[in-house]
Amino acid sequence: MKLLVAEDEPKTGTYLQQGLTEAGFNVDRVMTGTDALQHALSEAYDLLILDVMMPGLDGWEVLRMIRAAGKDVPVLFLTARDGVEDRVKGLELGADDYLVKPFAFSELLARVRTLLRRGNSSPTQTTMKIADLEVDLLKRRAVRSGKRIDLTAKEFSLLELLLRRRGEVLPKSLIASQVWDMNFDSDTNVIEVAIRRLRAKIDDDFELKLIHTARGMGYMLDAPESE
Amino acid sequence: MKHLSLTARMSLMFMFAVIAVLTVAGLSFNELSRHHFMMLDQQTLDEKLESTQQILSNTRSHADLEEVLPQLKALLGAHHDLAAIILANDGTVLFAEPLPFNIPEKYRLNPDHGMWAWEENGHMYRGMTAQVSTPDQPAFLTALLILDVTNHVHFFETLQRWFWIGLVISALVSAALGWVVARSGLRPLRQVTHVATSMSARSLKERIPLEPVPLELQQLVTSFNAMLARLDDAFVRLSNFSADIAHELRTPLSNLMTHTEVVLTQKRNLEAYEENLYSNLDDLKRMSRMIDDMLFLAKSDNGLIIPEQSRIELSEVATKLIEYYHLLADEQGIQLVVTGSGSVLGDKLMLDRAISNLLSNALRYTTAGKTILVTIKSTASAVTLIVENPGETIKPEHLDKLFDRFYRVDPARREGSPSNAGLGLAITRSIVAAHNGKIWCTSSNGITAFHMEFPPATILGAL
Repeated sequence: MKLLVAEDEPKTGTYLQQGLTEAGFNVDRVMTGTDALQHALSEAYDLLILDVMMPGLDGWEVLRMIRAAGKDVPVLFLTARDGVEDRVKGLELGADDYLVKPFAFSELLARVRTLLRRGNSSPTQTTMKIADLEVDLLKRRAVRSGKRIDLTAKEFSLLELLLRRRGEVLPKSLIASQVWDMNFDSDTNVIEVAIRRLRAKIDDDFELKLIHTARGMGYMLDAPESE
Repeated sequence: MKHLSLTARMSLMFMFAVIAVLTVAGLSFNELSRHHFMMLDQQTLDEKLESTQQILSNTRSHADLEEVLPQLKALLGAHHDLAAIILANDGTVLFAEPLPFNIPEKYRLNPDHGMWAWEENGHMYRGMTAQVSTPDQPAFLTALLILDVTNHVHFFETLQRWFWIGLVISALVSAALGWVVARSGLRPLRQVTHVATSMSARSLKERIPLEPVPLELQQLVTSFNAMLARLDDAFVRLSNFSADIAHELRTPLSNLMTHTEVVLTQKRNLEAYEENLYSNLDDLKRMSRMIDDMLFLAKSDNGLIIPEQSRIELSEVATKLIEYYHLLADEQGIQLVVTGSGSVLGDKLMLDRAISNLLSNALRYTTAGKTILVTIKSTASAVTLIVENPGETIKPEHLDKLFDRFYRVDPARREGSPSNAGLGLAITRSIVAAHNGKIWCTSSNGITAFHMEFPPATILGAL
């Protein structure tokens, strides 16, 4: 997966490149809008991450020209300004997502993965399996080592989310938004409690732990074999 | 008149007013004088004519006339402007003293009582005609009395000339006076202007004193003072806001710096560095969230929070939120109960956030094992949502201030999680305000209740 990061702030740019590279992406970094446009038009990227405020061409101008050139590569905007009209402008121009600085890197990573997954959606699976955990999405039933696990509706949704995005660190805010439709930072430890309860049912009785905590960032479902 | 100064305007208006008043007064005086002189003339003529009639009524024949002539002459002599003509009924002039007049024919034998006037050789005359009857001969003689009123006409000409001169002088004088009066009358305005000019951000506390200001300017000054008060309020809030930000960000910043420096003072194992970074991450997240919240509040202060207007069923929102929070409540053995229903027009995300803040707040202060009650009531005039929780009673003096940003009942204590910066209720209040609603808190007998009141969906016009 090849990404282009256009960010004029050197520190931010370097860390984004480092973080995304370590997350397994192939990342090119540019510092001006002009360079961003040139790269975006001459090379095939899977995703562009554009800062709105850049010297030369700003992010919106770059996006406009890329779209005018007929490229429909997904674009994620980064901005320090949080105005509704900014957001609307970006989305009208054809941006796919929008993050306001300061943002958590885990949040950015989650959004990048969502955008990359979009388009090549895998055929809808009805059952999923990881290690000895099997989940039937239609019957909404989970079985581990042949033993039926009793889950509440929300617990099942949480498990489904973790399973669908196995191997990814999911920030708490994303979990709250996807499972409970809480689309704002609620600054409580509800998600911690929910994960703890799910763990009690899924992991506690088993040697192999599937749910992992990425401290300060979020949670991840993974098993050694699936890597 | 558009670009004239107020003083010039007032002087001009003053002048016009004086001219108008003087003109009306002059014209009335003129009319009255004319009338008065006419009355005087009529009276004189009446009197003399009556005396003449008296004198003539004793004559039987034209010859007798000679006998009464001295009497008649004496009568006329007392009044040198007066002339008399006595005519026989065939029209012959029997007597004309002191001058023979060419009296127009129509007046000669005019039997009507009434005064007539005519002009001759630059002289103005008034006259009266009467028929003299003797006991045996009706209409025996005709007597005409003529009064020379040229003096009166001259008087009026002079009067008019002086009136015009007087009018011009008065106009000039009144304009000058008007200027002086307007200038001194407008002095308070200049004073107010002076005070207003000297205002700056530092002196926003100053007010223009009301006492020496005339009644007309009081409203202006009151409005101006009210504007100052609003500016001052906004300014104070802005200053407090900046001070709050500085203060609230200082704590996590100082943590970050101290912690990082201490960790760096000597070589440590990997876990120590990791621990430091995690701790930093926590502080950074806290700061980031605080900045987001402060920005939200700043926008709402500036009226930039414009909620969407979709129909929202509050019981659905509350149920959803309780589904989320019950995990936390279970841990503390707290029950969450929703009753009632009611819909409002509003922004789903914002209302979620507002009610969520109340619930997390309630969870923070509820005694373990008790129940938090969310009651929704819908009446024709309002939809209310009440979040009630048993807990320590809040003292009345704190109730209003609970919604102030960074307000904590006990300043020394950071209640709840470290991420609780004291902005939740302030945000809730600004969301409620953006929805034209009200929020208040009551607390007694160990029950604290937050009341939110919204206009019902129907009042704002359903979508």
